[in-house]
Amino acid sequence: MKIGLEVHVQLPTASKMFCSCPTADADTPNTHVCPTCLGMPGSRPVMNRKAMEYGIMLAKMLNCEVSDTVWFSRKTYFYPDMSKSVQITQYDNPVGSGGVYSLGGKKPIRITRIHLEEDPGKTKRVGDQSSLIDYNRSGIPLAEIVTEPDLSSPAEAREFLKQLIADIRHTIDLPDGGERSIRCDCNISVGKERCEVKNVTGLRNVERALTFEAVRQTKVLKAGGKIDRETRRFDEERGVTVSVRKKELESDYGYIDEPDLGIFRIGELAKSISVKESPLEMSVRLSREYGIDSKAAQQIVSTSVDLAKAFEKIAAAAGSAQTAMSWTAGVISANWKTFETGGGDIEGIVGIVKRFSDGEITDVETGMELKAYMTGTDIRTAGDRSSGLDQIIEDYLSAHPEIISEIRKNGKAVNRIIGHVMEETRGMHSSSDIVSAAKRIIDSKI
Amino acid sequence: MDRETVEKVAKTARLALSEEELERYSRDLSEILDYFRILDESPEGDGVGVDPVEIADIMRDDVPGIFMDPYELLRDMKTYENYVRGPKLL
Amino acid sequence: MASLPKLNEKYSMFSCITDDLETKGFRFLFSAKDNLTSKDMETRCGSRILEGYRPVFDATAIDRMRKAGGKLIGKNSMDEFGFGTFSTNSAFGVPKNPFDPERSCGGSSGGSACAAALIDGHISLGVSTGGSICCPASFCGVYGIAPTYGRVSRYGLIDYGNSLDKIGLISSDPNKLTEFLPVISGKDPKDPTSCAQPEPGPKGRKIRSAAVPKEALESISKDVRSSFESSLETLKSMGVDVKLTEMPFLKYAMPAYYVLASSEASTNLARYVGMRYGRQDGDLTLKFDDYFASFRSEYFGDEAKRRILLGTYARMAGFRDRYYAKALKVRLHVISSYKKVFAGCDAVLTPTMPFAAPRFDEISKMAPVESYSADYLTVPPNLAGMPQLSVPCGYDGGGMPIGMQLVTDHWAEDPLLTFAADWESVFETRRPEVSP
Repeated sequence: MKIGLEVHVQLPTASKMFCSCPTADADTPNTHVCPTCLGMPGSRPVMNRKAMEYGIMLAKMLNCEVSDTVWFSRKTYFYPDMSKSVQITQYDNPVGSGGVYSLGGKKPIRITRIHLEEDPGKTKRVGDQSSLIDYNRSGIPLAEIVTEPDLSSPAEAREFLKQLIADIRHTIDLPDGGERSIRCDCNISVGKERCEVKNVTGLRNVERALTFEAVRQTKVLKAGGKIDRETRRFDEERGVTVSVRKKELESDYGYIDEPDLGIFRIGELAKSISVKESPLEMSVRLSREYGIDSKAAQQIVSTSVDLAKAFEKIAAAAGSAQTAMSWTAGVISANWKTFETGGGDIEGIVGIVKRFSDGEITDVETGMELKAYMTGTDIRTAGDRSSGLDQIIEDYLSAHPEIISEIRKNGKAVNRIIGHVMEETRGMHSSSDIVSAAKRIIDSKI
Repeated sequence: MDRETVEKVAKTARLALSEEELERYSRDLSEILDYFRILDESPEGDGVGVDPVEIADIMRDDVPGIFMDPYELLRDMKTYENYVRGPKLL
Repeated sequence: MASLPKLNEKYSMFSCITDDLETKGFRFLFSAKDNLTSKDMETRCGSRILEGYRPVFDATAIDRMRKAGGKLIGKNSMDEFGFGTFSTNSAFGVPKNPFDPERSCGGSSGGSACAAALIDGHISLGVSTGGSICCPASFCGVYGIAPTYGRVSRYGLIDYGNSLDKIGLISSDPNKLTEFLPVISGKDPKDPTSCAQPEPGPKGRKIRSAAVPKEALESISKDVRSSFESSLETLKSMGVDVKLTEMPFLKYAMPAYYVLASSEASTNLARYVGMRYGRQDGDLTLKFDDYFASFRSEYFGDEAKRRILLGTYARMAGFRDRYYAKALKVRLHVISSYKKVFAGCDAVLTPTMPFAAPRFDEISKMAPVESYSADYLTVPPNLAGMPQLSVPCGYDGGGMPIGMQLVTDHWAEDPLLTFAADWESVFETRRPEVSP
């Protein structure tokens, strides 16, 4: 099975791609519009520099070759929400091409190209009478990322998109929840001929649409049938794809250059833009550089890239990656959200762990201080709540004596103790600490 | 250009042509394309041909703003609850 | 001003005249080709499909003329979207030649040249895609300049061919061209293609040498030839060194131009589908493809349809390389060939049109290719984005004006303006006898 995706990502500029209309959501249709995005005769596009920069960043993130000179093209197609019946996009010389993107740090997915284009407006279907169009979306900048058919299952396609979105968010500094909808055209072939499922929104639907298509095509082929090359649409409610029309031929678009924008010699600009390390790249590097377990590295990076950065500082201060890791993965990780929301200073954390590794404070004291510092609570309260791991376990066991015999039958029952302690101490102790303490206490009771 | 091609091109360009028009444009366009044949033998120049003079790196800053009253823009459009009305989709 | 409507009845140079005839407080009057948007007047581009389009913004050129104290008195009739050589493809009145109303004003800025010839001290804005300023200036016996591509902002220009369209000026007085070209020129942040222009060069530079392509003289009429030849003598007496040269590249300009212009035009005209602006009176319960097709077929004129078909074909996959992509490379060849010529002389000199203004009955018998080829002298500089000037240089046996065209290198408008002013002092221009 071969799957290739065309992923459309809205870029988080404040104004549209070719006019200054705001990209922010509007309460009323057709209020963030102007002659340019309405395609009025006599209007003209002017390129938004930020959109170009985002395009270059993403091209670099995908390890594409960034062209020295780029320009735009006109793709002609007639649809009510396409205000000029022409979409300004890139055909010859897109911003990036020939990239490779590593899925899960293992499988290379080839990137055919990434180009910039404008979003059309939105059409609202109403009965059978006419259509209603809102052009507020018209002209919002999009990056279209086209992959080679290197994905081999619907689940892998979903995994790819999940990682891609996380990396894009990280690369162009999208705030949490700041990303707009991700739209995909999904190409899938089980046999020789492929079908394209157009305009699928969201990760889950991509996987559903592809799974349905894979099953459908397999059935057709098994029954001795032939797959027609065609465009299909995904019906979200019914979870099926339906044929919409024969594949619109590339020839119908009749691409020509867009003279109104001129050309862009982006070589120098591209050199000046450096792309931040992606989360995946970071976890691979942490594991390699610090000799820590790759799962653990992935874990802290996925909690927060800033947490991973904190780990690097702690490791430098403590002089031991293992020490830094056990504190980072344990109490620091557990209190990270609170700490981040409170806007605390990372140096405080580094200082506490350093005092521990210098032998100034004990294991228990370190845990208490970190928790108090990170949550902003009084150290005594923090201390009270964690007044000895042993005490909490003892109390829990005397309240639930049946657990001891359960654990003897099935070791997994110890999870109940872990769950309780985690809840009680808000994750101050690592699960391995809890397990060893619980084992010691239970053994002593025999 | 034969009639069939004219028909195909007209469909792509969203023109519904009458029999008489198909006939006439087919004749005209054949003559015009004949006249274009000399292009084949023309030498070619180098460079990027988007515009006749070089226009490079003209960009604007990403600053949002609305400079025209959107209701004024919609003044002459057919609308319904501020949506622009268009023909049926399916 | 008061006689304007009456004059227009006879000559049809305006498709729309201002309601407000008051001229007090204005420094000068001007008119503009109807493909330039104007807030106070309907803008229809000579096309029924745009009937009812009331732009919400002024074209930059119009805006700058108003700010300089000008009053826009009307919008000039023109070939639909600029598609034509004789202004006969106009849905709202065909302008009549001021020297003989049975004859054409030329096109596609026919109304602009007509107004310039008829109204004393008038200046009008024209637009040139393939010689559409020089041609009517020549037929109407007036001065016309289409500057370098990108010199005048195209914001508010309703596009024909975006990589070709140039806004310029027409007047019976060459000093008006000198006065108003700087007014409408200059960078405009609303049109990126205007933002790459250099400042104008030093004023008063003269044209000292000119090359006349042999190819230009091959298919011109007898009257044009004799007027042109006697003009060459006048030029020599003015101290201009004239030499005859071969310019084989010129013959490729016409087909390359028609391919590029119609390819771009077919994409520009795609937006006219009976929604949003202009005519919108179709039946919305039709499926969109059918609605668009029926609407476009009903309201586009004959020549517009022909160019849409031609342009759509030239950029279709399978034909694109042979036509569109090839034409781009041919244009590069034409530009570099012109540059080589300008390394050895200041200007390229030709007659403007191969004949004087034809009669309407003659025009109606012309096949498309025949009328396209009438532009073979004005198209090459326009394809190359070079500035071009037409000056009156003679009259035929029937008293119809004949024009001469000068082309200079990119951005060198000033020598053309200087020449136009000098020419006026040595050439006796006739004015038409106007009887409203």
